[in-house]
Amino acid sequence: MSGQENPAAGVSLYRNMLRWQVMATMAVTLLAYAAAGLPAALSAFMGGVSVVVGAWFATKIAEKGRSKTDPTAVLLNLLKAEAVKILIIAIILFVVFKLYQALVPFALIAGLAAAALFSGAALAKSQANV
Amino acid sequence: MEALALIQAYTGVGIGLIIGLGAAGACIGIGIMCASFLEGAARQPEMIPALQGKVFLLLGLIDASFIIGVGLAMMFAFANPLLSVVAK
Repeated sequence: MSGQENPAAGVSLYRNMLRWQVMATMAVTLLAYAAAGLPAALSAFMGGVSVVVGAWFATKIAEKGRSKTDPTAVLLNLLKAEAVKILIIAIILFVVFKLYQALVPFALIAGLAAAALFSGAALAKSQANV
Repeated sequence: MEALALIQAYTGVGIGLIIGLGAAGACIGIGIMCASFLEGAARQPEMIPALQGKVFLLLGLIDASFIIGVGLAMMFAFANPLLSVVAK
């Protein structure tokens, strides 16, 4: 372990996280479609997409602060990214709950949970990079 | 009518507990992780770039339970499945 990590490896870590989230969303969407039809599939898709879009915005903010060397500035930047992520997810969920009449709530929660939890799978890639 | 009001009242309490306890748990977890990050960065500043990506991923994981809680709370707020029992 060298201690220094290639900055490009960090960017690929973020992309890997987004890739895992998209794959989890697709898997749950297909499962929901097979189990309960199109409205459930759309609900699961919207749940996953809310997390993916939030994570994408958070990734953009986190990537901006990669050049910072002060630990406090790094931490504040990451917390800001996380706050933006939660805000975006809450807004998208609110809009979906309000506007989508044929919503299947359990499918939406399943998509949301899968996308949120599978972001941690990118840590395995991170271990390989260090 | 009274049953409906009771369900709505208890659902409101439940939503508050889901959001509040979820936020408290996430804040404790993030606090512990941020303290560890600052401690690690103070000991070995050259590790900051390596730790940054991992901190970001773990922030997402710690917040996952809170985000799922927010989703569940919104489900109970906007599409409460318990109310269908009264409607019958």
